[in-house]
Amino acid sequence: MIEPTVTLTHLHRADGSATYTHNGYSIIGAVNGPIEVQRRDELPEEAAIEVNVRPSIGVGSPRERHQETLLHNTLRSIILTRTLPRALIQITLQVRTLPLEDGTTGVNSSLTLLPHLLHTALLALLSASIPMRTTLTAVLIAQPSSPAKNIVPSLLSPSAHDLVRSKPVRAVHVFAFAGDGRMLLNESDGRFSFEEWNEACRMAEVVCCGEEEEEEEEEEEKDGGGVELEAEGEAMDVDAQAQKESLDLWLRSVVRRKVEGEQRWRRAT
Amino acid sequence: MAASPAVLLPGDDIAPGSLPKGTGKKKTLTLGPGLRHTPPDTVTATVAGALLTDNKKNAASVDYNSGRYLPFAGDLVIATVNGSAAENFNCLLTPNTPPATLPHLAFEGATKKTRPQLPPNSLVYCRVANAGKHLPSELTCVDPSTGKGEGLGLLKGGMLFKVSLGMARRMLAAKGGITLLDTMGAKVGFEVTIGRNGLVHVDAGNVKTTLAIGQAIQEVDTAGIEEEGQRKLAVATLKNC
Repeated sequence: MIEPTVTLTHLHRADGSATYTHNGYSIIGAVNGPIEVQRRDELPEEAAIEVNVRPSIGVGSPRERHQETLLHNTLRSIILTRTLPRALIQITLQVRTLPLEDGTTGVNSSLTLLPHLLHTALLALLSASIPMRTTLTAVLIAQPSSPAKNIVPSLLSPSAHDLVRSKPVRAVHVFAFAGDGRMLLNESDGRFSFEEWNEACRMAEVVCCGEEEEEEEEEEEKDGGGVELEAEGEAMDVDAQAQKESLDLWLRSVVRRKVEGEQRWRRAT
Repeated sequence: MAASPAVLLPGDDIAPGSLPKGTGKKKTLTLGPGLRHTPPDTVTATVAGALLTDNKKNAASVDYNSGRYLPFAGDLVIATVNGSAAENFNCLLTPNTPPATLPHLAFEGATKKTRPQLPPNSLVYCRVANAGKHLPSELTCVDPSTGKGEGLGLLKGGMLFKVSLGMARRMLAAKGGITLLDTMGAKVGFEVTIGRNGLVHVDAGNVKTTLAIGQAIQEVDTAGIEEEGQRKLAVATLKNC
């Protein structure tokens, strides 16, 4: 897994914005808020949150409405809505590019997009300095179906290309964890047993929050140096050295860059 | 200045050791924007930024330079008049937010007979009198103790420039101003009004100078230019005036 690349606060008209690129997915997020809310959406005690997801091609469909609902419910639990009563926090996410193989992976493409949408929304919220309870990190886990008896390991944050190679995929899971390690969101699709879900959940927790037993630098998210993949009868070696950090550390490095940019004038004097 | 400030993410607990100890006169700890207190004694960050502590004032806050302006009582802001109601003007501090109220009588020398007439879109330099989250914030153009304007009131002529909130804070800081304006002020005459809501009003008498000064301020903001660079920029700007 390669670290996502992020540009923060690059839109001038929005209060907060972020462009997020990872695994061929590229999303622009913009946050406006707290702003005036329409009378019918106004909540007397807390801020209303509006999420707009725009697809890369065409206009929104029920698929986008479903993603908006998932995002809305997840973000509402981390934004301190009670500190901004009778206001609106408007989050707009424009999908800019999708990987070429996105349509042919054979898995639910709204699930493969979901972790990226969550990350973009969070980064845009951080950029807009909306008060939040905690942060979140999300990851996609795919479990390819194992031919015969050999067990195929789960794929962690696979790219669309990985998913095509390891067809057929039996189940995909999306997990989102809060900064303090609590689970915020789980969406699963396909056939899986409870043990398999449990294993996927543990795996996601290690990636999102980092493993506490080990030192932060020494984290390994995949066993051994490489993972054996069964794809059309051929075993392939995928190098797992690419990423050693947890997503939590990645988020911290993004924020550190933002703070350093803001404090530049202070250090110069 | 500390080499690398402590970077905080929302939800990070602040170690009691890094908060001011309260050895000064003020015994109670003051929490500024970006910090949240959970009883009994946990302090958590709510925005991403760097921790700022002040031992003398026994205060801590998170320093961040992004997002929308939120009014706080005592802030000096540049408000745009949006309309007039029975007793007060409806003013905007930032676009698309509920209007703040500026009473007709909150001007220097205003009485019920002589009310100020402000057409929509006129700019007023005022102080935030009170800002609760459940009520629209209230503005005032007089000092409540003396009844004098103290430089507050209608802004005539000039142009308005947008800067970041951090830049506005930096220019209004007690230590005062930026080198750019000090250097340029020695050569040309101009008037600068800074609002905490990220607006700078520049009036230099003619459009060319006004624009040059305003754009130089914006450049210092976006590029984070330090003192020496500001002097160079000031010299370059003066050539265009």
